[in-house]
Amino acid sequence: MIWFTWRQFRTQTWITVGALAGLSVALIITGLTIADAYDAANIAGCGSDCAAAITNFLTQVKTGISGTVYELANAIMYVVPAVIGIFWGAPLLARELETGTHRLAWNQSVTRTRWLGTKLAVIAAVSAATVGLLSWAVTTWAHRIDAAAGDRITPLVYGARGIVPIGYALFAFILGVTAGMLIRRTVPAMATTLAIYSVAVFSMQEWVRQQLVAASNIINPLDTSPLDGVSINPDTGEMTVFASANLPDAWVLTNQTITDTGQAFTGPFDPQYCGPDAGFTVCEEWIATLGLRQDLTYHPASNFWPLQWTEAGILTATAVLLTGFCFWWTRRRLT
Amino acid sequence: MSHPVLQANRLSKRYGRRVALSDCTLAIPPGRVVGLVGPNGAGKTTLLHIAVGLLPPTSGSIEVLGGHPASGAAQLARVGFVAQDAPTYAGLSVADHLRFGAHTNPGWDQQLADDRISGLGLDPSQKAGRLSGGQRAQLALTLAIAKRPELLILDEPVASLDPLARREFLQGLMAFIADHDASVILSSHLVSDLERVCDYLIVLVASRVRVAGEVDDLLASHYRLTGARRDLADLPTGVEVIEGSHTDRQSTLIVRSATPVDRLSFTVEQLSLEDMVLAYMSRTATDPRLALETTP
Repeated sequence: MIWFTWRQFRTQTWITVGALAGLSVALIITGLTIADAYDAANIAGCGSDCAAAITNFLTQVKTGISGTVYELANAIMYVVPAVIGIFWGAPLLARELETGTHRLAWNQSVTRTRWLGTKLAVIAAVSAATVGLLSWAVTTWAHRIDAAAGDRITPLVYGARGIVPIGYALFAFILGVTAGMLIRRTVPAMATTLAIYSVAVFSMQEWVRQQLVAASNIINPLDTSPLDGVSINPDTGEMTVFASANLPDAWVLTNQTITDTGQAFTGPFDPQYCGPDAGFTVCEEWIATLGLRQDLTYHPASNFWPLQWTEAGILTATAVLLTGFCFWWTRRRLT
Repeated sequence: MSHPVLQANRLSKRYGRRVALSDCTLAIPPGRVVGLVGPNGAGKTTLLHIAVGLLPPTSGSIEVLGGHPASGAAQLARVGFVAQDAPTYAGLSVADHLRFGAHTNPGWDQQLADDRISGLGLDPSQKAGRLSGGQRAQLALTLAIAKRPELLILDEPVASLDPLARREFLQGLMAFIADHDASVILSSHLVSDLERVCDYLIVLVASRVRVAGEVDDLLASHYRLTGARRDLADLPTGVEVIEGSHTDRQSTLIVRSATPVDRLSFTVEQLSLEDMVLAYMSRTATDPRLALETTP
C-alpha cells in the first residue's frame, strides 16, 4: 500500500521537491544580500542611532530582489497549505470515487481502513514535512528582517512563520479529503476546499487567534505629538481622539483614548480650540492639557510561541477529528 | 457438496424509497459458473456490490464463502471482483497495475499475471488510460484472477466490448476456470453473452429473483406450448405459466413444469435458454395478472 501510495503520488512529490529546490536557491542568494546589508547598516553595534540603522537596513532589503523574495515567501506560506488541501487532499478520495477505481482498490486484499490509513499517513507526513521545511527556511531567512521591523507577532507575518503553517497544511489536507469524500467529484471538491479553507484562515486571523493566549494591557499618558486624528460632532459636542499605538514588536488589538478616571474619552470639545475654525495643532495642544491616557491591549512579542503552539494545536486537533470522521465515513458510508 | 459460495436470505436494498433489491434469497452451490441475467436497472449491480462488500444491505443477510463480505483482509483475498466498466487507474501503466496487485494481495500469482499479459499482447509500459475497452477489461480480469480468488465476481464484464473482444474475454475467463477450480458469478443484460459459459443461471427482474437454478435443470423444465386457445386454458396441475401470447384462435405459452408436459392437443417444444430468460423478463410487462398470481 505504501508503494502504491507513493506511485500515485510520485509526480506531485517531484514537483514539490523541484519547487522547494528553486525556492531554496532564491532564499540562499538573497539571504547573503540580507546578511551583507545587515552588516553594512551596523545594527548590531548601532549604539545611539539604532532607529536610523534599522530604517536604513529595512529600506535596503525590502526593495529590489530581496524585497520581492520577502513578499513572495510570505505569500507562499499562505498559498502552500491551501494548494495542499486543493491538489493533494480533495482528489485523494474524489478521484477514486469519480472514476470508479475505488471498486478496484477496495477489492484487493487490503481493508478500506488500511488503504485509507496508509494514504492519509503518507501524504499528511509529506505535507507536514514540506510545509515544515518551507516555514523553517523562510523563518530563518527572514529573522533579521523580522527582528528589525519588529512585526513577527503581527497577523500577516505571524501566519507565515514558525509551526502554525504546518497546522494549516494538515488541516487543509484533511479538509480536502473530507470534501472530496462527501462531494465525490474532484473539481467541486477542490472549489469547496478552497472556500472553506479561506473562511477558516480568515476567521482564525480576525476573531480567534487574539483570544488564544491572554493579551497584555498597558495604559500610557496620551502622546499628542502628533495625533493620528480627531473626529468631532458639532451638534452633540462629542469628540473622539485617535493616537497611534507606538508599541514596537507588538500586535495591538485595541487602542482607546481614556480619561484619567478610566472612561472612554468622548468629549466634550472646546470649540475655541478644536473645530473648523481652529487649527489642528491648537487642538492637539488643548487635548494635551486634558490629561488623557491611551489604553492598549496587545500581544507582545513574547506571546509569539504560546500563540503558535496553541493555534497549531487547535488546527492539528481539528485535523485529527476530521481524520476520524473520514475513517468512519469510508468504512460505513462510502459505496 | 460443501457450503454454498453465496447464500442470501431475504436480502434487500433500498435507496430512500427506491427499491434496488427486494427479498433476494439464493443459495449458489460451489464450483459453478453463474450467470446473473436481468434487464438494466434490475438490481444486478446492487446484488454483486453487496456480495463483495462495497454496499451494505438494508435488510436480510448474506454470506459469501461462509464469511461476511469484505469483513477483513482474509475475506477480501478470497473474492475477486471486476466492477462494471472495468475501472483501472488511467495514469498508471499495465506493469504498475500488476505491481499494485502484487503489493496488496498475499496470494498473488505473478506468473499467472505475466503469462496473461504477454498472452494478450499487452505492453507492460502502456498506460491503462490508453488501452482499448477490451484490453482494459482484460487487465482488470488479470488483476482479479492473479490474486487467486476462490470466487470471482464480474459485473457486466463484456457489456462495453465489441464481439471479438467479448469472445476473447470469455475465453480468458474459461481458461482460468478450467485451470483453477474457482467459482464465478458474472452478470449481463444479455443471456447470449453467458449462454456458452454458464452452468447456473439467476434471472433478476425489477429487483426480484425470478428464477435460479442449474442451466440443465432449467432447460429441462421449461416448454413452449402452442395450440388452440381453449385447449390451453385448461392445463394440468404443476404447470406454471411464465408468459403467454394469444391470437384469436391460437395461444403460445411458455411454461415451467417439473414433469414433462404431454398433450396431443397442442405442440410442445423445448426452449432455448435465451427464449426462457426473455419470457421471465417480459412476464410482468405482458400480463400483470400472471405476475400477481405468483407473488407471495
